[in-house]
Amino acid sequence: MTMLALIILAPLLAGLAALVLRRAPEAIALAGVGLGFVAAMALLAGIVSGGTMQLVLPGLPQMPLRLVATPLTAVFSAMVATVAASVLIYAVGYMRSDPEKPRFFGILLLFVAAMQALVLAGDWITVLAAWELIGFSSYLLIGFWHGRDGVPGAAMRAFLYTRSADLGLYLGIFVLIGWAGTAEISATLDITGTPALVAGLLLLIGAMGKSAQVPLQDWLQRAMAGPTPVSALLHSATLVAAGAILLIRVTPMLPAGALIAVGLVGGVTAVVAGLIALAERDLKRLLAASTSSQYGLMLLAIGAGVPVAALLHLIAHAAIKSTLFLGAGVFQHDRDSTDMDAVAGAGRARPLVLAAFGIAALALAGIPPLAGFFSKDAILAAALAAPGVVWLAPLALAGTVLTGAYMARALRVLWQGEAQPVLGKGMGWMGAGMAVLTALAAGLGFAFTPLEHLLEAELPPEGTAMILGLMAALSGLVLGWFIQPARLMGPVLPMAQRGFAVAGGMDGLVLRPSLAFAAACEGFERRLLASQLGLVRILSLGTASSAERSDNRLYAATLQVGRMNLRLGDSAETTDTKGIDGLIFGLVDRTIAAGRRLRLLQSGLIHRELALTVMGIAVIAAVLLILPMSS
Amino acid sequence: MARDLSFLFPELMLASTVVLMLVAEMLRAPRLALAFGLIGLGLSTALTLPLLEADTSVFGGTYRVDLLSGWAKLILLPGTALALLMTRAEIAGKDREGSVYVLLCLVTLGALMLAGGGDMMLLVLGVVLTGLGSFAMVAWPRNDAATEAAMKYLVFGAVTGSVMIYGLTFWFGGAGSTLFSELGALDGKPLIALAGLVAVLIGLGYKAALVPFQFWAPDAYDGAPVSVAAFLSVITKVAAIFAFAQVLRDLPVATGWPFVVALIAAVTMTLGYLAALVQTNAVRLLAYSSVAQAGYFMMGIVALGTSALALPSVIVFGAAYVAMNLGAFAVIMIAGRNLDDFKGFGRARPVVGVAMVVFLLSLTGIPPLFGFVGKVLLFGAAIETGYLWLAVIGILNSVLALAVYLRIVVSMYQAREGDAGRTEMAPPLLVVLWATALVTALMGLFAGVFPG
Repeated sequence: MTMLALIILAPLLAGLAALVLRRAPEAIALAGVGLGFVAAMALLAGIVSGGTMQLVLPGLPQMPLRLVATPLTAVFSAMVATVAASVLIYAVGYMRSDPEKPRFFGILLLFVAAMQALVLAGDWITVLAAWELIGFSSYLLIGFWHGRDGVPGAAMRAFLYTRSADLGLYLGIFVLIGWAGTAEISATLDITGTPALVAGLLLLIGAMGKSAQVPLQDWLQRAMAGPTPVSALLHSATLVAAGAILLIRVTPMLPAGALIAVGLVGGVTAVVAGLIALAERDLKRLLAASTSSQYGLMLLAIGAGVPVAALLHLIAHAAIKSTLFLGAGVFQHDRDSTDMDAVAGAGRARPLVLAAFGIAALALAGIPPLAGFFSKDAILAAALAAPGVVWLAPLALAGTVLTGAYMARALRVLWQGEAQPVLGKGMGWMGAGMAVLTALAAGLGFAFTPLEHLLEAELPPEGTAMILGLMAALSGLVLGWFIQPARLMGPVLPMAQRGFAVAGGMDGLVLRPSLAFAAACEGFERRLLASQLGLVRILSLGTASSAERSDNRLYAATLQVGRMNLRLGDSAETTDTKGIDGLIFGLVDRTIAAGRRLRLLQSGLIHRELALTVMGIAVIAAVLLILPMSS
Repeated sequence: MARDLSFLFPELMLASTVVLMLVAEMLRAPRLALAFGLIGLGLSTALTLPLLEADTSVFGGTYRVDLLSGWAKLILLPGTALALLMTRAEIAGKDREGSVYVLLCLVTLGALMLAGGGDMMLLVLGVVLTGLGSFAMVAWPRNDAATEAAMKYLVFGAVTGSVMIYGLTFWFGGAGSTLFSELGALDGKPLIALAGLVAVLIGLGYKAALVPFQFWAPDAYDGAPVSVAAFLSVITKVAAIFAFAQVLRDLPVATGWPFVVALIAAVTMTLGYLAALVQTNAVRLLAYSSVAQAGYFMMGIVALGTSALALPSVIVFGAAYVAMNLGAFAVIMIAGRNLDDFKGFGRARPVVGVAMVVFLLSLTGIPPLFGFVGKVLLFGAAIETGYLWLAVIGILNSVLALAVYLRIVVSMYQAREGDAGRTEMAPPLLVVLWATALVTALMGLFAGVFPG
């Protein structure tokens, strides 16, 4: 009970303290995250020794808020706490000279608290709340350097992309709650049949947004505008993981149809994002695309019906990708850029960092005995044993080959080139954070067997998968090291470099049309008014109307002249209303002299609006009259 | 008689407070009037608490003392007290200051009539009482914009009000009684039921600023003092919604009213947010946003009688709406009416900026804020009644809502050329800001205290 609360409250309170006190943010942050880490480990230990824990808070009427610790959620929580702690240690060094440190650590801690709330949530309302909070705090973190070019745009894009996919989550959750009559997650998982299929597909949409799956993958690469610790924490282990975690938790409910969709989305993403990563010319963006691709593999495992394989890969990937990002951050510090040309040879000057980066890269590619080897094996085995083996297995293998290829390419860039002397400032903290994560990336695989026991899950047999996986990984590494992507990919290269933007990508498909829609709304009321007014006149006034209309025109013209004079004279006064007039009705504004007010009321706004109102009343009455007939 | 009056203590308290305030205003002692008002509203709220569990009606069924009217008092009376403080901060020391306080309390009395009325006469009384006071308040600044806005408000009110009274006579003729509880007698007389229903939709729809009766709202809010606009956008609107609940829950569903109300709800929230999207004036933006919020309220009205969530959802969202909308208007009072005034505001005044972000996100419906809880219940109620499409439109609109409110948030954190003039904040405004911000941010976690 206390542990559950402490996991969330410790980072939350520390974050608020850092924001309010604005001094010694590092110490506060380390204390908060450290306490949260201890609590998460204690929780995991408690769960291992048996039993589950639950914390119920008063929430909505009939829908209390719940936090639950089951083996699954406790493992997630421990993973989040571990990565958060390591990344924070690194961030102490990375953000050493940033004047806005308190804001950075404050928001980062709030994010950690929200993420813990998400993984420990026992009901859907808490899931929604935490989901929104991590979305919002990640928006603030990506936009942390909001003064720089392109950063606010990237933050806004990330927010809007994931936000639009969130609609799926909302609808899916409402379907679940509506069908089960309760918001408790474990109770809603008993749903079967069509509602389960509908809810599953809707949840998949939400997960696709957060986990950057095709076609919603673009935001993740652009989100690299944030500070490196943000990329390491949010875009490897937590924010992006939210989608996969969501799906892993609801797998028991998903019917075969939904599983097929999940597996297909994942498989396609694994390949497409892998190609994008291979074609990428920026180290951090390569890692971002690789994240999409790896989450694609996890979704593939879920689609194959073996969520445990996805879970293992999620955990391994969290440690591996954080290490890679942190290494990239060191090189970025050295060369002031993550462009492939700029960082060429950066690894030579820092052999230790390069070693850590290399271990993580090989682990991701799936070389034994590193962590990624075991988890990737599990995914391949799951794909081979799945009913949809025909298409799942090739996609999984292609994803594995691509992983090896782009990691080899990154390593080669860092290795070949001119070494430049570097300053060793701040490396103590950064190195410590990286060391912990590298050790995890290397050795975590040996913890997988007890983990499977804890989760009471069995993996499919691995014999063939191990050989196939190893061959795929090695061939990928060899290809990536020796052959230029231009030759490797041929005509696919330019497409991949544009991020496979079909029809202008999501921008063209969603953002631009909705902006155009909003612009069209500008004259909406005016046009509605004009058309309906014309209709009313034709209907009711007949021939008499023409006389009135010409009168009105004359009046409008006089009004225009008078208004222009007044504008010149009263420009100071009109600033308040400027821009609105003309926007809505274009005819009248309230800066007209007092003497004209009554005439204005007679011939201007009100009778037009009342005409509209009368139209509205007519519509209502008509609907009410037609309704009984049609039913 | 004595029993009946004992149930009306809160209303009687408020009425006598208004009389005392009038006396104070005649003595040219606006601060005394303000003090009377605040104390009276506080006492009246306290007197409501023992009546909260009551479920009865008084004076022959014409006035209802039930869950809805009880919570209406608990929401509207403190809301009016906050509006009084906001008004004080805006017009302190001006001529005829006390008359605004009197009018505020008088309109609130009318709002309570609307929320508790169980009879057509009382409905008309409530509409007129809230209307007349509101016209006067909008016209209070005595400048061109205010006079025009008040005139428009009045003409609109006169037309819709007379149509409503005309339509209600049909109901009286058909049911043989002015009591809402006798409306069941209209079953089988579709045309008569329809005439009255259309009339009620017009009269109360105007009060709640539903599409297509919303035209007055942006002009009236813009012409009036900001604090009065805040008051009009919450108190009279919530009262009208509660009145909808009192009337429609007795009307046979066979007349097809839920579908029409659902249609109005969908159109209202969509058009409201679309119009808000292109505003450059913060008051007008919030005016259109409150039009859209009225659409969300109507989702709860649709579910009346079929879903157990209907009344709780309207009550919870009512409380949330009062807090977050008053708070947002209070921030406008500090920052300025124009959207450009918000540039750099969040950096110049970090605490107020954060409060504004909380209000706006809550208006959008971001969990775990109070507004989200209300919206979840409204969606739940609509889905339970079988109006899934309405809930879907509501959820889609919350994306639009985000675009609307983020316009303010974004400009708040933009850099501003030159130094933002840091105006002093009046102490009453500080009280309002803290109260509304705390309620908005924290009540979402304790929404269990509301009836469920």
